[in-house]
Amino acid sequence: MKNLLEHKDGINRLLERYGVKFGIYKNGEFHEQLFPFDPVPRVIPAEEFEYLNRGLVQRVDALNLFLADIYGDKKIVADKIIPEDFIFSSKGYLPQCEGITPPKKIYSHISGIDLVQGKDKNWYILEDNLRIPSGASYPLIARDLTRQAAPRTFMENDVVDNRNYAQMLKGVMDAVNTGGINVILTPGRYNAAFFEHSYLAELTGSILAMPQDLYVEGNKLYYRQYEGKPMQVGTVYRRISDEYLDPMCFVPESLIGVPGIMDVYRAGNVALVNAPGNGVADDKGIYYFVPHMIKYYLGEEPILKNAPTYLAFYEEDRKLILDHLERLVVKDVSEAGGYGVVFGKDMTAEELEKWRTIIKNEPRRFIAQEVIDFIDLDIVEGDQMVPRKADLRAFVLSGDTTKVWPSGLTRFSRNPDSFVVNSSQGGGFKDTRVLSR
Amino acid sequence: MKQLHFRYEMQLELSGDVREHHFLMRCKPMENENQHCGSLSFRVTPADTIDEVEDGFGNRGYAVMIREPHRQVQMSAEGLVRVRAGGVHEACHPMYRFPSPHTMPEDNIRAFLSDAQKNYGSEFCDMAGYRALMNDLYSRFVYEPGITTTRTTASAALAGGRGVCQDYAHILISLMRLQGVPARYTAGMMIGEGASHAWVEVWHDGAWIGMDPTNNQMVDDTYIKLTHGRDFEDGTLDRGCFLGFASQNEIIHVKVEERS
Repeated sequence: MKNLLEHKDGINRLLERYGVKFGIYKNGEFHEQLFPFDPVPRVIPAEEFEYLNRGLVQRVDALNLFLADIYGDKKIVADKIIPEDFIFSSKGYLPQCEGITPPKKIYSHISGIDLVQGKDKNWYILEDNLRIPSGASYPLIARDLTRQAAPRTFMENDVVDNRNYAQMLKGVMDAVNTGGINVILTPGRYNAAFFEHSYLAELTGSILAMPQDLYVEGNKLYYRQYEGKPMQVGTVYRRISDEYLDPMCFVPESLIGVPGIMDVYRAGNVALVNAPGNGVADDKGIYYFVPHMIKYYLGEEPILKNAPTYLAFYEEDRKLILDHLERLVVKDVSEAGGYGVVFGKDMTAEELEKWRTIIKNEPRRFIAQEVIDFIDLDIVEGDQMVPRKADLRAFVLSGDTTKVWPSGLTRFSRNPDSFVVNSSQGGGFKDTRVLSR
Repeated sequence: MKQLHFRYEMQLELSGDVREHHFLMRCKPMENENQHCGSLSFRVTPADTIDEVEDGFGNRGYAVMIREPHRQVQMSAEGLVRVRAGGVHEACHPMYRFPSPHTMPEDNIRAFLSDAQKNYGSEFCDMAGYRALMNDLYSRFVYEPGITTTRTTASAALAGGRGVCQDYAHILISLMRLQGVPARYTAGMMIGEGASHAWVEVWHDGAWIGMDPTNNQMVDDTYIKLTHGRDFEDGTLDRGCFLGFASQNEIIHVKVEERS
């Protein structure tokens, strides 16, 4: 342990030199900041990881079946398991994707599932991220640098090697490839996760493409080479959000899209990783229904629990929310990244009343959850160890099979009394070490 | 039943050279129980590639790409369509029940509906009621081009009191969905109109029924339907993007005639 602490500053210096940064937008301006690394790892015992693994595979499989159903037959709506309001009035539902069957019927190839461990030792799912979850590269490179600085740590302890993320990701891209090369499509260096785009391209042997490098012709997608012949593209791991992906289909003003790419995708001539339209399955309103999906599609009991959640849409739940607002956390279903989250315990009597009115007027817009008292992990601050709230983003990859990466991104909050760990809110990260026995 | 011949011409003039020009023309008439297109010819110059495409709503057309610098594009679609009046028995996709970006029911739309219900003496729950609501809109909204744009929402158009077919359609859709009646935006052409036209289809008794609030009449066999969607955005007849610094001027001529 002492060994690890000595390397904290050195590793952070190296991370800075490698450009391991995180960008955030604040007041309309782009700020790039370092994503501080804490050397004390989170350790997950083998048995516990095996349990998480089963639960996460089950959850992601159900979510993929849900997406195929929504953009196909819509049986879960016809069978009244989920009210259609939560699907067809969701911002994440894209009718432009109706009738498209993605290669191998996979929609969420890379899923970032956020969990916390309660003080009762139970794990709870906080959020599913099925659009373009970022973050795998941070623990990946931090582990690499730690290994270089303190190789003995990994020889003497039974830590599962996490360097296989690149092979897993390449495996997914290859599995859905429709014929051609793999590319990672980045909007450019002013994107919050540009470091990750370039790092993953290097590790997976994919081409890092800017939007203008790709073009559509004859219902196929090509990578423009400045020397030599254009190459056909079979998989695009795109790090551009749905609405900017194709100006001919979505936001017409998009300058970072590839005109016509949706037609190629519809024709089955390219795989888009992740599939457009996944937002319908990961908003905070749909979250409530994921345990129902697991039962509906897989006929199984959910292994991992949701945090206790109430839907203002249902009268009974709404009453409970209004009566107990002071102990709950309220979330706006259309917001992401730690925005639109308010805690009842922080509100004055006046604010509580104001929020009750808002919730009554727009019940579809809000969920409320019990505040989970989740565990603290120690971090190093100056010469001391101090406890901070931490969550875990697990990466689940779906190609020929669904697998959980034996590692993950552990994020902690900057402030001692904060429960919000999102990196866009200024926290840091730790390595996540899964033990092999 | 009528045989309708149509010609849809578009000329695009650009103020400067543009290249890598992509555009989409959704000019293939919909195929359904009341409408069948027997022949269709599509011409565009210049063009490097032309691909037939279909979107998630079932709208069909051509995706055109022009690589080299140019300042003008000419396009024409011409065809013969057999059209019959009456509802279309297609399933109702649930998305047509919910507000879309252009049809959000703001306060003035809600007020319009409650006033109209008061005048009518009850809620609008059958075709006679829907026609009365359409008549109300027709008498309270003035047709005047140049006031609204393609970005004007139903609520903003209603507040201004004046607009074109797109605005009539958006307002009627917003009113219909507010009452729980599924409605969709429809674009196409009609006899006697020199440009493209837009109207509304409402879901009633297992079929989509066409209503034209701009002309305060039910859609019959003088209309050719091209696209549908939640609002204008989904069913636009043409859209494009290019590389270059230029403003564009689009001239559209449409002519629909009956053939015996």
